[in-house]
Amino acid sequence: MSVEVEKKSTWRVVFLNDAVTRMSYAVMVLRKLFGFDEETATKHMLEAHEQGRSVVWVGVRENAEAYVFSLQQWHLSATFEPDEES
Amino acid sequence: MKRVEVRLSITAVAPLLDLIKAVADELHVHLAVPLALGDADTELAAVWGEDLLESQRNDCDRLFSLFDAEFFSEGVVAFDRDNAEPVLRACAALRLRFRSTRLVDVPDDTLEALESSSTMGDLDPEAQKAFACFLFLDELQKIILKYLDPMAVDEDE
Repeated sequence: MSVEVEKKSTWRVVFLNDAVTRMSYAVMVLRKLFGFDEETATKHMLEAHEQGRSVVWVGVRENAEAYVFSLQQWHLSATFEPDEES
Repeated sequence: MKRVEVRLSITAVAPLLDLIKAVADELHVHLAVPLALGDADTELAAVWGEDLLESQRNDCDRLFSLFDAEFFSEGVVAFDRDNAEPVLRACAALRLRFRSTRLVDVPDDTLEALESSSTMGDLDPEAQKAFACFLFLDELQKIILKYLDPMAVDEDE
């Protein structure tokens, strides 16, 4: 008997910077959607602010899509991409 | 979140509502934040686009429902657990749309300096009104964020 193990690829949710949105708003949304504590959400917000992008989540594509959709609903720019390390 | 009533200046806010409404109407057909999914996901983008536009429309409707008879008689708008988040999102969408259309010619650093000083600088009259709307929507966001998380807004200042 052979067992085939399918390795599911993983995807990154990337939060992108914008120059308009209030920082406290972005932190509140990141906390709400991803369950981050204040410190983690602030770290991602600052990383996006300074480097243009911050990887805020890694996992299966379906969930990555759902997170990006939710971020867009809150008018935060985001995308998802294959996780090259997976 | 308990119901929060905020008294606004009718004479300051009412003249802005026509322009905010015009920009909200644009958000019926334009996303405040364009999708950044890349060429491979055009089908997904099409499906999402419609859902996101509907969400934007609903949020803007909730914002404009604040400006009812009570606002025009008493200057009072009220937030509660039902409308706080939709109004917060509507303010975010409208500010992004103002920035990408009516204020598109204002450089980032100029806009930042004007925001810090709450002055109009050398903006032309049309841009001045757009900037007043931009500031007003920011103030609404600050009020709501403060009640959702009293510590949050201080970190922006």
